[in-house]
Order: sequence, then structure tokens, then C-alpha cells
Amino acid sequence: MARSVALLIGTRKGLFVLRSGAARSRWRTEGPHFAGEPVYHASYDPRDGASIYVAVNQSWGGPRIEVSRDLGKTWSTAANPAFPKGAVADEDGDPTFQQTWHIEPGHASTPKVVWAGVAPAALFRSDDRGMTWTLVKGLTDQPTRKLWNPGGAGSINLHSIAVDAGDPKRVAIGISSGGVYETRDGGTTWTPRNAGLTSAYMPDKEAEAGQCIHHLVAHPTAANVRFMQAHEGMWWWDEAKSRWDGGEAGLPGNYGFAAAIHPHDESTSYVFPLDWPQRMTNVLGAAVYRTRDRGKTWKRFSAGLPKGAPMEVMREGMATDRLDPAGIYFGTNAGEVWGSADEGRSWERVAAYLPPVLSLSTATVG
Amino acid sequence: MAVTIRLYGAYGDFAGSVRSVAVDAPTLRTALDALVTLHPALRERLRDEHGRLRDHLGVYVNKNEMRFLGGEATRVEDGDVIHLIPAVSGGR
Repeated sequence: MARSVALLIGTRKGLFVLRSGAARSRWRTEGPHFAGEPVYHASYDPRDGASIYVAVNQSWGGPRIEVSRDLGKTWSTAANPAFPKGAVADEDGDPTFQQTWHIEPGHASTPKVVWAGVAPAALFRSDDRGMTWTLVKGLTDQPTRKLWNPGGAGSINLHSIAVDAGDPKRVAIGISSGGVYETRDGGTTWTPRNAGLTSAYMPDKEAEAGQCIHHLVAHPTAANVRFMQAHEGMWWWDEAKSRWDGGEAGLPGNYGFAAAIHPHDESTSYVFPLDWPQRMTNVLGAAVYRTRDRGKTWKRFSAGLPKGAPMEVMREGMATDRLDPAGIYFGTNAGEVWGSADEGRSWERVAAYLPPVLSLSTATVG
Repeated sequence: MAVTIRLYGAYGDFAGSVRSVAVDAPTLRTALDALVTLHPALRERLRDEHGRLRDHLGVYVNKNEMRFLGGEATRVEDGDVIHLIPAVSGGR
């Protein structure tokens, strides 16, 4: 079967799917699925090569998760994640599941497990490929939960889930503003993993919990490799020291949301820096920055991007495919999708005039 | 009591493009329960996991919004019409 790539584009008004062959030179747009409904995230499941999970967050009917087993041809609505009565002891009343922010297929060795991060910040686990969900109470019961604060999105959200490629029981999650937490026993117990992070705006700049994480990703095939963009800084996980290392040489600033990791090189990642507080690219215009040395140095890539153009890319707005050379893609708040089939050296606009892009993820099929 | 429930916009879509449902119930709450029994896809679209009606759902009995009646305990009569309306809000 010839390899192909699909881009799953979550927008304010539905899910669009862009499909291309392995050359990634021509793209066909499908959709919108769930027209008019905000899609915060969509995720392809490489374990079965057919499932797609979609976070639809509609006001009128509330949030829901849609599941396809045929790469988006047909859809089924999952049973909602639900907070059990009395499950969260320190709330004023029982919290309501408000939004899904991220859906992540589990480890390759646990093909029925899928994880979902929601607001208010909590993690849910599915053991039936996304159709029913159970609260991961060990994280909710974590004693530093009381230190979490609402982030800029207005609520406390669990938006990042990084499944370790080497261990199905090892999962890290990111919360705004709560920090990074990790389980090494499949979700029963959780530990803050925020050592090394600094946040100048916080009273305790190196607080154990409460750090504002913007986007955390794990390497798809290498164990113990994680990268993230935080409110302040781009960070790589140092497994030996059990702490985060940052580096900003060559970057225009340390703020941004989007973060992606190279699918084959475990020392390479990409970011899309923004200026604070406007959350747009600075006067240099749009560019993707790449590190090949785990964040020590960064190089700017903008060939093909409109010079000086202000753009905004959200936390889920950038991803890589699994081909070699890897494709890199980002979607903007102005409804454009840009792609590079040569690992960032050159860029082409692959879609325009979409609604504002909330998320972009990839499916490398075949 | 024989009442009619009218489903507007998204709520009709959730029920599979059904726009009007006849149920027999003495109160607004039991009428909504009967609606969900007939159309289970509406269960999580009308209420959260704790049974609370969703914030953006407008519920009217005839011309009156339920908050100004007796809430879900409002008694309904033969021929009453219950309207489930997506609340108009936002704008950005």
C-alpha cells in the first residue's frame, strides 16, 4: 500500500481533513465534519491504522468525543467522560465535564487504551478504543492539585498527554496552569515533574506545581524523550537528572504554544515562537525554529512563508508526519495551513480560508 | 398529559433530524425523561453527568421560559408545547 499523509485540522467550525500522497505536493481538502462545531483536537490511531478520535466541544449539546473506525468516513459518538459524584473532594459540588482538549492513543502494546485530557483539568482513560471513559482518580487525588490555577484559556485544562514509547505504564501530562505530572504505574500514582522549570511571573519561580505548560510531546518511538513549550521557555526532559533543561540561543523569544518533535531524530524539535502579550509572531514575521541539539541552539526556517506576516499558531497547531524526510505542518488562527516536505527548509501553503485552526495532527497511513 | 416537545436547531439534529415528539407526562421533568427514553442520543446533549440541564439549553413551556415557572417541576397540561431551543449567545 502506498504511503500517504492526512492532516486532521480542528477548527472553530468543524474538522477538515487534507490528504496527500507521499510526495506531499498536492492536497485534497475534505470536510467539514461536525460543521459549525468547535473541534479542539483530532487524533489518528497508528495502532489500527483506521481510528480517528475527535474532541468536539459544542456549547448547546455540551462536549462530546466522536470516533471513526474508517479514517473519517463514518462516525460514532462515544459515551462522555463523566466525573463520578463525590470524586473530587475539594470542589464546591461535583465538577462537570466541560471540554476535551486532547485525545492520545495509548502505547502500541496496549491497543485498546486511549487517553483524554479535559477541562476542568483531569485525565480519562478508555479501555475500549475510545467508546467509554473512566476518570484517572490517582491524578485528581494528587495532593498538589490544590496549587493548580486557571491559565489564559480561562479554566484549568489538561491539554497534553505524552505516552512514553518505551513503557506503556509511563505517561506524562501537562496542565495549564498545573505543571507536568508523570505516572510510572499506568495511572495509579502521579508525581510532579517540574524540576528545572522556571517561571519569572510566579512568586515561587521554581514551584513544584502550578507551572504553566503550553504543549508537551513525547517522541513516538524513542523511550524517555519528551519536549515541551511552556509559558516561559522551551524544555527537554533530562532522564538522567530527572529534570528539564532549557535553551534559547537563536530564538526571538521564549514564548509560544506550538511544539513538535522530529519523528526519527530524538534530539530535534520545532517551535513557533510568539510575542507576548499579543500572541502573534514578532516583527520578523512567521517562522519555524528547529533545534538539533536538544534545545541548546535554534535555527530559523521561513523560506516560502510570507515575509513579515504576523501569524498565531495555537498549542495544538503544529505537528510532524512519520515519513522520511519528515513533513512539518502548522495551522494558523487565520485559517491557513502551511507545510514543509523537507523538514522545514521550504514551506508551501497547503490550505487557506479555513476557519481559525485550533489543532493540527497527522496520520501517516500505509 | 399529552404534550408536544419541539426540538430546534442542534437539538433536532442530535435526535436524528427529529423536530417534534409527542409524549405523555405530568411534569416538565418527566416529559424530558420520556423524550430521552425515545431518543437516547439526547441524554448527554441535554444534561451533564450529574443530571443538570446544559447552560445553553433554553426550555420553554408554551411561551414561558421554565425559570419563570416552576423549573423542571412545572406541571404540564394536555396540549402544552415544550420548546427546546439553543440559547443564542456569544458572537465572536
